[in-house]
Amino acid sequence: MTQTFNALISGCSDMARRPSSEMFTIGAGAGFAGDRIEPAVLMAQSGEVDAIALECLAERTLVNALRMRESNSETGHDPRLARRLRPLLPHAARGCRVISNLGAANPAAAGHTTARLARDLGIPSLRIASVIGDDVRDRVDEVKWTQPIDDGTWVGAHVYLGLEPIVSALDEGADVVITGRVADSSLVAAAPVQALGLTGDAVAAALTVGHLLECSGQISGGNLTEPGVPDLSVEELARIGYPVADISQDGSATIRLLDGHPGRLNVAACTLQLLYEVHDPRSYITPDAVLDFTSIRFEQVGHNRVRLSGVQGSPRPDRLKVIGFLARRGQIADIEIAYAGTGALARARLAADVLRLRLQRELGIHDFVIDLVGVNSVLGAGSMPLHCEPPELRVHVSARCEDAEMAQAVEDEIYALTISGPAGGGSVRSERRGRVESLAGFLPRASVSATIEWASAA
Amino acid sequence: MRIGDIACGRAGDKADVLDLTLVAYSDRDYARLEQLVTAEYAARALNRVVPGAVVRYELPALWALKFVAPTALAGGVHASLRAGLHWQKAAIWLLLDLEIGETQR
Repeated sequence: MTQTFNALISGCSDMARRPSSEMFTIGAGAGFAGDRIEPAVLMAQSGEVDAIALECLAERTLVNALRMRESNSETGHDPRLARRLRPLLPHAARGCRVISNLGAANPAAAGHTTARLARDLGIPSLRIASVIGDDVRDRVDEVKWTQPIDDGTWVGAHVYLGLEPIVSALDEGADVVITGRVADSSLVAAAPVQALGLTGDAVAAALTVGHLLECSGQISGGNLTEPGVPDLSVEELARIGYPVADISQDGSATIRLLDGHPGRLNVAACTLQLLYEVHDPRSYITPDAVLDFTSIRFEQVGHNRVRLSGVQGSPRPDRLKVIGFLARRGQIADIEIAYAGTGALARARLAADVLRLRLQRELGIHDFVIDLVGVNSVLGAGSMPLHCEPPELRVHVSARCEDAEMAQAVEDEIYALTISGPAGGGSVRSERRGRVESLAGFLPRASVSATIEWASAA
Repeated sequence: MRIGDIACGRAGDKADVLDLTLVAYSDRDYARLEQLVTAEYAARALNRVVPGAVVRYELPALWALKFVAPTALAGGVHASLRAGLHWQKAAIWLLLDLEIGETQR
């Protein structure tokens, strides 16, 4: 069964919806492709959440998925899909809806894989919807890119869909909704918007909750250090809980951890996550509304419970953002060699100087950096000064190379140091990266339509 | 005293854009940061490492300052010559570790 609708015509406020209750609880079970599996399972087992959103798609993972699909058109969904969904589908069959962008570059294939999983788990009646339509690779010439497109080969291009197709699938009775590129905040907001029949600023509030939850543990104590406050303990960080939100019909919400789940969910953590990867806080643009974060209030209302209010939104934009991936010629070679023991720093510095000479003089490479892991390889010239000699350290080289042969030549120069460089060089580590550039652009909303496909195990 | 003694912070990135958030723990500390950590001040700190101008947004109700450097990460994550991917997660320490003099706290 296939249902098509135009994103412009069927605006979300026009949709008939049946408010089922006064409050809806949505959990964030994953915040990136490699995120931990267990928190979503614990959430589902708690019986406290009405739906779980799994955010599993970033630029890097989408590029990887596109590469997979290139070699086999039946693949291209997240390779962790089965591991992530297997423990959740039985809960989906009992009413805990699962919404995820695990579809990556191939949501249709993801739907079929999920349907086979459901069949194998003995729940063949599970209703699984795939959202199709974010792939705009064949429309790259129509996209208004924010920078000139010169050389390079298109790996793919995807438009950020909003919450409408997910809402539509849920309206049709989906237990599981699998998408490709959908705005993260919309992915999380869709289920509460559908269930509560939210409109206006309440949709803006649900989208804000979506933005707050989309990075899972980053709002509940992850990536957080506070002045004068001890960091979370080993046991707490090892079992850190992921956030859930209780959303009311007026759009007010409480972000919280489930009882017994360790973490630190406070006003500072919420504020950091609210502004994370936001540019102008007065105008955070999602496909479904433009959000103003300056009027927001957070209030600590209990242990690991923060209440959110004051969200304001303005109407959704007429154009949708597109992310494009352009493969450039060449490779980045990223290589390290270690030195340890007395005089390690001097030997590492000598190795670095030798490499500088060889790369420039013999290989003719000028676009490279050489630094010391443990000293200045992360913050470069902004690193703290070195006060004592480290017992061991690594010389790191990254070089832009015009082709694989040149990248190999760079790697060989580092390996050559193990026998004819400063004493004791070893523990070499090497990786190559293709040069894929991410580009932003826009398409008119009216030109973008999404389709829902219902998956079967066949 | 470091900025990190009166504020917490986090770095993020989207394509070429580096964004940094500082959140103070009192209105007095917020006022101090707002006065001291101007866009130019932040740019001087960041320009030791990444190029380009910095835009600042103030959120007094949240005791937060937002710094956005639109051209800091040319080419995005994949084009970086730093060791590994996503070095910019640590970039907030370019601000947190800045000394801002004595305090009466």
